[in-house]
Amino acid sequence: MTEILALDGLVKRFGSRTILDGISLNVSAGEIVCFVGPSGTGKSTLLRCINGLEDIQGGRISFEGQAVQGNPSAIRAVRKRVGMIFQHFNLYPHLTALQNVMLAPVVVHKEAKAEVEARARALFDKVRLAHRINAYPAEMSGGEQQRVAIARALCTNPHLLMFDEPTSALDPETVGDVLTVMRDLALEGRTMLVVTHEIRFAADVGTRMVFMDQCRIVEQGDPRAMVAGAQTERARKFLGTIHG
Amino acid sequence: MGYSFTLRTIYPYFGDLWQSALNTLSLSLLAIVLSIALGALVALMRRSALRPVRLLGAAYVEVMRNTPLLVILYLVYFAAPEAGVRLSSFMAALVGLTLNSAGYMAEILRAGLIAVPPGQFEAAQSQGMSSAQVLRHVVFPQVFRTIYAPLGNQVIAVILASSLATAVALDEVASWMQTVGSSSFRFFETFVVAAVVYLVLCQSVNIARILIGRKLFPQGRRA
Ligand SMILES: Nc1ncnc2c1ncn2[C@@H]1O[C@H](COP(=O)(O)OP(=O)(O)OP(=O)(O)O)[C@@H](O)[C@H]1O
Ligand SMILES: [Mg+2]
Repeated sequence: MTEILALDGLVKRFGSRTILDGISLNVSAGEIVCFVGPSGTGKSTLLRCINGLEDIQGGRISFEGQAVQGNPSAIRAVRKRVGMIFQHFNLYPHLTALQNVMLAPVVVHKEAKAEVEARARALFDKVRLAHRINAYPAEMSGGEQQRVAIARALCTNPHLLMFDEPTSALDPETVGDVLTVMRDLALEGRTMLVVTHEIRFAADVGTRMVFMDQCRIVEQGDPRAMVAGAQTERARKFLGTIHG
Repeated sequence: MGYSFTLRTIYPYFGDLWQSALNTLSLSLLAIVLSIALGALVALMRRSALRPVRLLGAAYVEVMRNTPLLVILYLVYFAAPEAGVRLSSFMAALVGLTLNSAGYMAEILRAGLIAVPPGQFEAAQSQGMSSAQVLRHVVFPQVFRTIYAPLGNQVIAVILASSLATAVALDEVASWMQTVGSSSFRFFETFVVAAVVYLVLCQSVNIARILIGRKLFPQGRRA
């Protein structure tokens, strides 16, 4: 399998506080890596370091062989190939759903509008929102907004998708719609990093589970095996509490 | 002591008034547009990662807010030629009014920038947009929406402040008022007419602003 992402001894500090303390991780094409762990252990920060939203204080990140840290144009080149989905969607409120999805392909990737629109419309079918194409974010439910956000990330043909608790801000009845779309993406063989508290989703869909606690990766392995019985005490305890 | 209000004496001067009103209007509109651009620059400076740049932006705002417009106009029109910069009355008035208004615009725009959630910057950056693209396509449209109502006050303030341009010999409404008043001796009438012209100008521009706003931001949409 081709390696897509390599983290080597990643260190992240905010001031004097260490948030990530030597994270090493390799991700190959087609993997679906689910990150779980207690609140405040740096899962979001880890994703944000990967696409350069946060700078790092030590270690190396390389995406498809290209260093992420350092010069802004290298960071932008990486961002063009990584789609990110946020907990609070972060759709552009002044644009319609369709315009949200089309913006980056047109202005960043300089693609022809007609081509982008055709692709965007197909994506709205995929996320089952063809009927909401002209709605503004404020007119949509959380679940709808998150599916638009997924379409927005997909429209730039990313090589990696990163989800940061994509269903945590949703009403229970709309969580399923978003997870269904994410399952479809997994079936397409997309490479995905997913920070989630949806343990069942992680076990069903994930190819690997990474348990983080106190700034480090404590344990990683097959998601089903870890849910059934993790090696470490901490992971076992955490997965036990969250599983109910 | 009956004072009889009559416009008959100043009637012949109404032809000049039209031209003066056009000067007031074009001066004000240009100053508004230019000061939004300059104000945006200053507002961005105040958010810079570099402290000296932030301080420079803050200093600009304070200097402009604490200097009478009349003094700025005199500096641009009478003092700048000493330094080799000679401007026409219109250009001097435009520069002075723009510099002054930009101080206030910067504060309005700064409030608008603060209102854009950090997640908007992050979403745009994570899509690979350059800083300029983030501002142009994601941030400024939202800022503009936020400041559109508060902008109304500043628009009117600029139109009224443009009356000081008479001090740099520009033929605008206030200078019409002074000239016609002193040559016709119908001061009261000219003052009233000038006040009405300012009222009409301000209200026309304001109503135009509101109508454009309805087109730009249709109801039922929070943008
Ligand atoms: N900009 C920042 N400045 C200072 N500290 C920060 C900043 N962002 C995050 N932190 C701190 O870093 C730590 C890790 O935060 P992070 O959001 O990555 O955790 P998380 O694992 O995603 O938690 P959660 O499950 O609650 O989302 C937290 O203690 C947080 O307070
Ligand atoms: Mg988080």
